[in-house]
Amino acid sequence: MLGRGLKRKLSDYEENMADLSSAFDSSRHLPYLLKRQLVLNMCLTKLQTYKMLVEPNLHRSVLIANTVRQIQEEMRQESNLQPVAACPGIAPSSNSYTGAESSWMSLQLPSGISQQESNYFELRSVEDPIENSLLIVSDDDMSSAISSILKDLDFVEDISPPTSLVPTGDDQLKFPENTSLKLEDDRQDLKGAECVFGSFEISNSTSYLKDLAIDDIFEDIDTSMYDSDFCCPPLMPPRPQSLATEEPLKTFPSCNSSSASNICRPDLSELDHIMEILVGS
Amino acid sequence: FPGAGGGNDIQWCFSQVKGAVDDDVAEADIISTVEFNHSGELLATGDKGGRVVIFQQEQENKTQSHSRGEYNVYSTFQSHEPEFDYLKSLEIEEKINKIRWLPQKNAAQFLLSTNDKTIKLWKISERDKRPEGYNLKEEDGRYRDPTTVTTLRVPVFRPMDLMVEASPRRIFANAHTYHINSISINSDYETYLSADDLRINLWHLEITDRSFNIVDIKPANMEELTEVITAAEFHPNSCNTFVYSSSKGTIRLCDMRAAALCDRHSKLFEEPEDPSNRSFFSEIISSISDVKFSHSGRYMMTRDYLSVKIWDLNMENRPVETYQVHEYLRSKLCSLYENDCIFDKFECCWNGTDIVMTGSYNNFFRMFDRNTKRDITLEASRENNKPRTVLKPRKVCASGKRKKDEISVDSLDFNKKILHTAWHPKENIIAVATTNNLYIFQDKMN
Repeated sequence: MLGRGLKRKLSDYEENMADLSSAFDSSRHLPYLLKRQLVLNMCLTKLQTYKMLVEPNLHRSVLIANTVRQIQEEMRQESNLQPVAACPGIAPSSNSYTGAESSWMSLQLPSGISQQESNYFELRSVEDPIENSLLIVSDDDMSSAISSILKDLDFVEDISPPTSLVPTGDDQLKFPENTSLKLEDDRQDLKGAECVFGSFEISNSTSYLKDLAIDDIFEDIDTSMYDSDFCCPPLMPPRPQSLATEEPLKTFPSCNSSSASNICRPDLSELDHIMEILVGS
Repeated sequence: FPGAGGGNDIQWCFSQVKGAVDDDVAEADIISTVEFNHSGELLATGDKGGRVVIFQQEQENKTQSHSRGEYNVYSTFQSHEPEFDYLKSLEIEEKINKIRWLPQKNAAQFLLSTNDKTIKLWKISERDKRPEGYNLKEEDGRYRDPTTVTTLRVPVFRPMDLMVEASPRRIFANAHTYHINSISINSDYETYLSADDLRINLWHLEITDRSFNIVDIKPANMEELTEVITAAEFHPNSCNTFVYSSSKGTIRLCDMRAAALCDRHSKLFEEPEDPSNRSFFSEIISSISDVKFSHSGRYMMTRDYLSVKIWDLNMENRPVETYQVHEYLRSKLCSLYENDCIFDKFECCWNGTDIVMTGSYNNFFRMFDRNTKRDITLEASRENNKPRTVLKPRKVCASGKRKKDEISVDSLDFNKKILHTAWHPKENIIAVATTNNLYIFQDKMN
């Protein structure tokens, strides 16, 4: 079979995930919030992996996206029940949590913390900064991430009426048919996706998941295009961040700004493939 | 059916196993579909390499009354080749997703085989005679000089070694954007349906350049997509009726007479969720991987990750029976999600109306008798399996102390999965596919 997509390179990560999953399954006392967090992490990781494949599995992607939405909805309902402001007078609402879990949470308060902060932390788990930041990240961002993935599936899969394709002045470049269907929403989606995944790159994780090297998960994801000020995606194999923004301009001088918006397309693997053919590598 | 519902449980015996003995599985040899033809004389398998292998049952030997005929290779051919879609830079896998036989109308046999994108109608015919004695040609095919011909003779047919030839008679292509998961031949034997993740098309067997789209669940905005089609089948008797199942655990029955586009179902079969079993994975495990009508068409069976459900077509709000295939996996769902096993698509099959069969892990497969309510777990393995030895029932120990001969959940091999099984239409012979081997079992004949 021809190349089916990227394999995960990190066997350590896989082992960690396997350990965590079996901990989820075997432990009755794992707090619900952490279980949910673990599942959410796994879902987003899978979606991210699928995004890198040339042809993600639609059935699986939909099932995973639905699971993420379900968790997201649950979290949204919880944050609606709980006031976010750290007012000293406000008692934490324990509606959303079982008695056992809220007592677990209050037990985790580190000693010496001020009264004001302690009230704030009663609302959220001290040991769980990842979840904190997830609550901070808006639902829109997560929805955007899911949307962008599903949109990609549409892009990759469906036959759509062909529209204008090739950037001016460069007949040799043949882009996939639906390139120009990518609209302005993309930039917002990308930012959304970046926000969600950005929030996972927390180095101060002291949570239950600290064995998990979260940074490593996303090590091989080329985020250079998210950083780029130009809409023009790097039209070559992924490079370290510092180089990517400059090189597109060097290699394709004919690429002006109007055509650039036509080719603004987040699917690196597809462009990489085309570049490889052109460059003959 | 002999033995079915008659109070005598069937005793299954090992009969044959086909395929490589090595533990090292060549990817192309992975079996992806198994199907008996309408008489049961032929058994077809499709594999990941795009090949179809057809086995034929030997005529029963009157002297060997203690066993039915063995299945031997009848024909092997390459049905689908890998393709590359240059426009989208996508590889199209040659793996055979489904094979369905047409009923036999003349001396030749016909089957439909499909990969992700293209369906092909194959004709399998025998040649056991050939003409000899041409006037203008030598036996080796060279032409004779006409001037040397002094007498004329009529060519005659003489027997030759049996040759089985497979030729593609129709190619039904370019109608599916998404991956085809099912094909089903209508009871009119003139039309058939093909279903992908979002659409179902109706074809006429004679016409390849167009098909009718009869179901389309693709939303205008792909971001709104929450459900896909997972399987579809025509009703065995009613040629205007078909069902399709979804990733949300629902089955829709549609009547083609109601409208050209059957987006509105006639019936919706859905069981309300059991709140005590709710988990993060509830939706994923409710996704239906297979749907099959009983031979009578009164019932249909669905397979989701943990169970088999029997539905009465007259009752939409819940199944009439539910059988747990491997309930001990419910407490392992996170691990099974992590290693993607939770997405495995198990098929199921009937022996008519009374007994249903489906596969599991560790090369185990399960049968449920609807009449006696008894079930059995058997293993497809080369060990300890001599022909005509009765298979020993297996048991998985979910928790606690493991009894002798039981196997604990943690020892199960999740790489050994039985996804495809088939039951002979008339006799108690079953075909069970492990990763790359095909096992044939039959009931003990006394």
